[in-house]
Amino acid sequence: MTSIRRLLRRRRADQGAARSKTSIAPQDRTAVGLAADGISKRFRHRGEYVEALHSTTLHLAPGEFVCLLGPSGCGKTTLLNIFAGFIKPDSGMVTIGGQPIVGPGPDRCVLFQTPTLFSWLTVKNNVLFGPRSKGNLNEGIRREADALLQRVGLDQFADHYPHQLSGGMRYRAALARALINRPSVMLLDEPFAALDAITRHHMQDFLLELWEEFQMTVLFVTHDIDEAVLLADRTCVMSPRPARIIGEERSKLPRPRNHELVETSEFLECRHRINVLLDRDRS
Amino acid sequence: MSQTVTPQRPSLPPMNPPRFGLLVYRGVLSRPALAVYSFLLFIVVWQLISALIVRDPVFLPTPAATLKTLHHYLRTPFPTHGSTLIEDTGISLVRILIGFACGSSVGLILGSLIAGVRVIRAMLEPFIQMIRPLPPIAFIPLLLIWFGLGETPKYILVAFGVVPIVTVATAGALSSVPRDLLNTARCLGATERYIMVHVSVRAAIPGVITGLRLAMGTAWTGIVTVEFLAASSGLGYLIYQAGQNLQTSLVFAGLTCIGLLGLTLDTIFRLSARALDPTSR
Repeated sequence: MTSIRRLLRRRRADQGAARSKTSIAPQDRTAVGLAADGISKRFRHRGEYVEALHSTTLHLAPGEFVCLLGPSGCGKTTLLNIFAGFIKPDSGMVTIGGQPIVGPGPDRCVLFQTPTLFSWLTVKNNVLFGPRSKGNLNEGIRREADALLQRVGLDQFADHYPHQLSGGMRYRAALARALINRPSVMLLDEPFAALDAITRHHMQDFLLELWEEFQMTVLFVTHDIDEAVLLADRTCVMSPRPARIIGEERSKLPRPRNHELVETSEFLECRHRINVLLDRDRS
Repeated sequence: MSQTVTPQRPSLPPMNPPRFGLLVYRGVLSRPALAVYSFLLFIVVWQLISALIVRDPVFLPTPAATLKTLHHYLRTPFPTHGSTLIEDTGISLVRILIGFACGSSVGLILGSLIAGVRVIRAMLEPFIQMIRPLPPIAFIPLLLIWFGLGETPKYILVAFGVVPIVTVATAGALSSVPRDLLNTARCLGATERYIMVHVSVRAAIPGVITGLRLAMGTAWTGIVTVEFLAASSGLGYLIYQAGQNLQTSLVFAGLTCIGLLGLTLDTIFRLSARALDPTSR
């Protein structure tokens, strides 16, 4: 009984998220670019060095949506972690808006495969974590959090705990928590891989909406070719051993996009070209 | 009973009133009710065995006789050491609380150090693992030589059993906080210090409380043993004396006191765990 009611409520909240289109993005901000030049990174594994990245170069223009595509273990997460500032490269330069990256910061939000919500905080307090940790929690921020929760369709769930939400709702809560910092860059590491296919489609469309609304530079790591074709301005294909970028596909698909695109011939052509890149590497 | 539905966001469907049968079912089979049933069942089985099969109050007194003795000695001092059941319970409780507080504080500190500082982990961990299998009881002769018959050796013995358990639980809970969770907090702008207090410690609390609950069990073992061997007061001493005098119903009365105290303390831990961890059931 209870579970059916909860499910119904979730379903309606899901629809609500898609409907409310009121923009709450700030107008006075511009996106910044990201650049990695000649990045190499080795890890020690049982006394042996494994090369995770071999002098890799990747530039992201301000506001660009770039997908990093490749099989597991090809170093795409390592590159993302270097942009995030979680790990330092052995050699090479990483910059954001021309400034060198020295560590993690609120200008770059990172979303992982799981939503990594704080299980002991309510949805609203999860969203307020960033401002509260920096000690600038005020009435304005609280109102902004309410607006963001409304935008991601979770305003009715502000006082729920993460374990009470569905997978898609948890991810939207994580998005709201990241967006309250007004990041200029969003780094996503196979974000929707753990969601079911239908929810994943919703989240992909929703991410595209948010990206156009908030004017962010996005680096999106994935191993799903369709996902990359649907989302990206540019898809960079990576290959393992030695890990490097072996080619890129600049998308000519029109914007704004949503899932209706996947049935068009342009979409299939774009996917085909990426497949050719991947096949060429294999042979 | 239709509600107005806004075009933007449909309101929640009205709740169906729960069926009467469901209410009864929930009340009769709720968790506290089930706990009471198992307790009652235990009493009934005990009463049946003692009154119908054993029929020897020295070998196995009935629950009724135990309750009578318990009630009698609550206020009346027991002749061997001249204190009432309430006083003995109080004495044991104070010993266990002081010993537990000291032991768990040390355990929390050691566990945090092991989780946080690589050098200390390498130095302390083998040591803790070596101490852990030693039964605290084996140290009673040493403690008596060093500290005599006062209260100090009792605190130390209780603490001695508590420290390794709390240390291992704390270190484990802190080290298993997911790295992605910490990195999430970092890129939301939190300082390392804020993350330590508000993410690491907060995420480790459920595991630490489980460790404290386990350690409380060891603490009771320790205090009862040391009161058997080297004390002239407390519940352990009372049980031992009652056994020597073949006052079996008083033995059971003492055991009941320990059981009730243990249940109370564990309930406190369980409730605090539930208050601090919304995912706990």
